[in-house]
Amino acid sequence: MKRFYLIGFALLMGFDTLAQLSFKHAGAGAFPPEASVEWLLRLLAQPWLYGALLGYIGAFFTWMSLLKHAPIGPAFAASHLEVVSVLALSAWLFGERLSSLQIAGAAAIVAGIVCLAMGEPDDAESGSERAAQLAVGAERKDAGEADGGAAH
Amino acid sequence: MNALVWSLWTATVLLDTGGQLAFKAAAGDPEAGDGLARWKHMLSRPWLWIGGACYVLEFLAWIAFLSLVPLGRGVLLGSINIVAIMLAGRWLFGEKLTPWRLAGMGLIGAGVAMVGAGA
Repeated sequence: MKRFYLIGFALLMGFDTLAQLSFKHAGAGAFPPEASVEWLLRLLAQPWLYGALLGYIGAFFTWMSLLKHAPIGPAFAASHLEVVSVLALSAWLFGERLSSLQIAGAAAIVAGIVCLAMGEPDDAESGSERAAQLAVGAERKDAGEADGGAAH
Repeated sequence: MNALVWSLWTATVLLDTGGQLAFKAAAGDPEAGDGLARWKHMLSRPWLWIGGACYVLEFLAWIAFLSLVPLGRGVLLGSINIVAIMLAGRWLFGEKLTPWRLAGMGLIGAGVAMVGAGA
């Protein structure tokens, strides 16, 4: 299950990052923005626009696959890893300056991801956790988690 | 922030939270099966469509919101959605808030807020 999350979230981050960087490139290519058909045509002629589209579609399908098993609270939090990759890449590719608060924020996001990964039980543990819960008749568990434990 | 900015902000939080929960309801349906059949099942139920509709509306509210406030505020908003969706997941789907998960979500929420505030 950890492998599924690792690949899934890496893919999600890749698609999200592609979309954001493509939007920036497409926007810059069609600069300056104006409310006219010419601007729309200029925008549609940008190859980057289709990179953004690809990123959005890829992210959607990846997200729907992840959500089949992942609990929504932690998964939604983990999907913010994209903030870190976009921040790093915009500093590198566009020479944008990062403030120290932003760097500290990026570090906190990475630390948070590590905590979520630590909190995700190994398959064996997950099984015993489920057994313990059944034994005490604990409240219903997230269907996705139970599913994940049973699948392996 | 004036009344218009506040209402647009509230709308984006509600639509993002509602949309994500609808997507989870669609994707987590144990009856959905696998592969192509899973997509057919999801497309025949309201949840995926509700999630999609929330996203279209949020897209519009988001553009209107960003036309009035700087982008940093927008990123800051992402941190509030993390808390809203965490609580909704606990309430609607019975997701456990273990210490590791709380620490992880708290750190990510704080980190996103810092990135937004530092912009």
